[in-house]
Amino acid sequence: MTRDHVGDVAVSDRDPSASVEFAGQSGTSRDGFGLAYAHHGELFQGVFQGAEGRLRRGLVTLPCGIFRSEATFHTNTTGNLKIEQAGRDKSLKAVELTLAYVNKGHLGGELRLRSNIPAGWGLGSSTCDVVAAIRAVADAFEVNITPLETAALAVRAEVASDSIMFDESVVLFAQREGHIIEDFRMPLPDLEVLGFNTDQSGLGVDTLGFSPARYTCWEIEAFRPLVGLFRRAVQTQSAQLLGQVATASAELNQRFLPKPHFDWLRNVAERAGAVGLQVAHTGTVVGLLFDPKDSFKEAQIQEAQKMLNEMGINQTWFFHTAERFEAFEKEGE
Amino acid sequence: MSVLHHKVSSNVVDSVVLPKLIQLDHNLYGAAFFLMKLLPARFILDRARDAGLLREGSVVIETTSGTFGLALAILCNLQGYRLIIVSDPAIDPPLQRRLEDLGARVEIVREPTLVGGYQRARLNRMEELRAQHPGHFWPAQYSNKHNPGSYAPLGELLTEALGKIDCLVGTVGSGGSMCGTSTFLRLLFPHLHVIGVDTHGSVLFGQPDHKKRLLRGLGNSLMPENLDHKAFDEVHWVSAAEGFAATRYLHGKHALYMGPTSGTAYLVAQWWAKRYPDATVVVTLPDEGYRYQDTVYDNAWLRANDAWLPELPTNPHLVDHPLETGNDWTHMRWNRRPYEQVLGAPFKE
Repeated sequence: MTRDHVGDVAVSDRDPSASVEFAGQSGTSRDGFGLAYAHHGELFQGVFQGAEGRLRRGLVTLPCGIFRSEATFHTNTTGNLKIEQAGRDKSLKAVELTLAYVNKGHLGGELRLRSNIPAGWGLGSSTCDVVAAIRAVADAFEVNITPLETAALAVRAEVASDSIMFDESVVLFAQREGHIIEDFRMPLPDLEVLGFNTDQSGLGVDTLGFSPARYTCWEIEAFRPLVGLFRRAVQTQSAQLLGQVATASAELNQRFLPKPHFDWLRNVAERAGAVGLQVAHTGTVVGLLFDPKDSFKEAQIQEAQKMLNEMGINQTWFFHTAERFEAFEKEGE
Repeated sequence: MSVLHHKVSSNVVDSVVLPKLIQLDHNLYGAAFFLMKLLPARFILDRARDAGLLREGSVVIETTSGTFGLALAILCNLQGYRLIIVSDPAIDPPLQRRLEDLGARVEIVREPTLVGGYQRARLNRMEELRAQHPGHFWPAQYSNKHNPGSYAPLGELLTEALGKIDCLVGTVGSGGSMCGTSTFLRLLFPHLHVIGVDTHGSVLFGQPDHKKRLLRGLGNSLMPENLDHKAFDEVHWVSAAEGFAATRYLHGKHALYMGPTSGTAYLVAQWWAKRYPDATVVVTLPDEGYRYQDTVYDNAWLRANDAWLPELPTNPHLVDHPLETGNDWTHMRWNRRPYEQVLGAPFKE
């Protein structure tokens, strides 16, 4: 994703090209825009040994182009920071941190957020707001902030963050430290995802208040072959292997935030011919993963949809990981 | 995230703990270890250290006459633990010298007990030593859950190098490598077909005990707690002569100079891989051949021990019950059942 896409899909009523001159300030500022796509939970999440041998919590997210946050940042000289929406303190904190980071800590401004991401489902709504806010501030001053810098700011703003800021290659991301444990140096293989919320009330969970899973010694070890297979899946661009990694992670983590009817869901995945079952490890969303190269996938997805409907899961969504911008534009109409 | 392919290891264990993966047929891969037992020995000692049970200078006591003792001796040497190994006259002298060279104290039990033989005598002597050394650590490879729990790095190597694996073949002694590796792999591949390879006269899969088994390093006269019978889809019993012939065949055909457990597992794996050409098969090859130069790799020794077989057997007999095996290569469908379900009663010593 580049900033060019922001102009195409702006939902703000402001003109994104408008720039504002500040009397008495050195340099020019304009309204900054930032866009961040959400994720659909994680392909896997656990504890991993980094290069220096230390164990770290980490995750790989499944990008999802149909949910997004957009931020507009309007600078002023009041020295105060304001946010239009209540209860978005972390985004405001991110603005403060980013201003300081680009040496504009003396300035004030107003942040405005637009998002279609339900909170508490495990889609990274909070990180998405934060990243959009950071990008908007950077954009306002036409400063280029790298994904790693964005990650560091996001973690400082909200304790634990997701890895949505890395949009070029897949990374295993230490969500509590903002570090990359492993860069897989290639994009994810394409997947088609049939998503739904296992919590039909839609109330969600407090994803930031959720205490980190305490894995047993065996579970910590079990993540090793999982990462091994993930490397293979990315290297060979295999949706099939990726699905097996996702299902295994869902199963390993099931005892921490159980998804209702998990065995039944696994069964649906198998019967429908999905390559795997993927969950939001700190949320309620689940995805059935399909291989876009599978010639039977249309029928498989229909079959899965039918089984879900029979269980009373009527609200589903569908996306293709490789087509997130197109999907977004259709959604953004 | 280093992109360098060649690195310096900080010690010999780190450099050899993982196997080399070697293609033996279009669908068969051998995981050839320098010394497989380094994996559980390292993991067991590290977890004990993390739990505060071990520090530099601590005493480690174990009874073994095999490769687990060698792995412990190597690690205790490097990590500064004092190791006492209790063994019996069956220990081969070069191994004993090697253990002592590494700084281990080797206690040889000279008299078998009336009931339980040398195995019981060794355990008795170990208990005496344990009482004499308060604060010692006993690795207990037969019951320590960190033995099967140590095989995840093997799983990582296999999944990264091969992707999907359909069948895992290996010999069973403590149950650690096969139960451990298969549990980790089945998290990703629930349908993984697991084949345990045992030898006649071993109690592991329901045969009556025969203490003078010639094929060593697999099988057992005791039932280890770490053996989970429900891990196995299929069990094979291979005789000493067949195992030795396969070890020599592996060397002759692939120039892989490995120990007799490797050859025995290979016999089963190459047979299964031929029957299922579309399946990806992995066989573990647990140690190298140097310890067996004067035995398995010596035709005169093989003939003198009535274990000379000029040709590799081609097929195992299929049986329905462990007591129907006869004296040569046999297999049965274990179908992930518990021991008592297959044998009709729980194991009794």
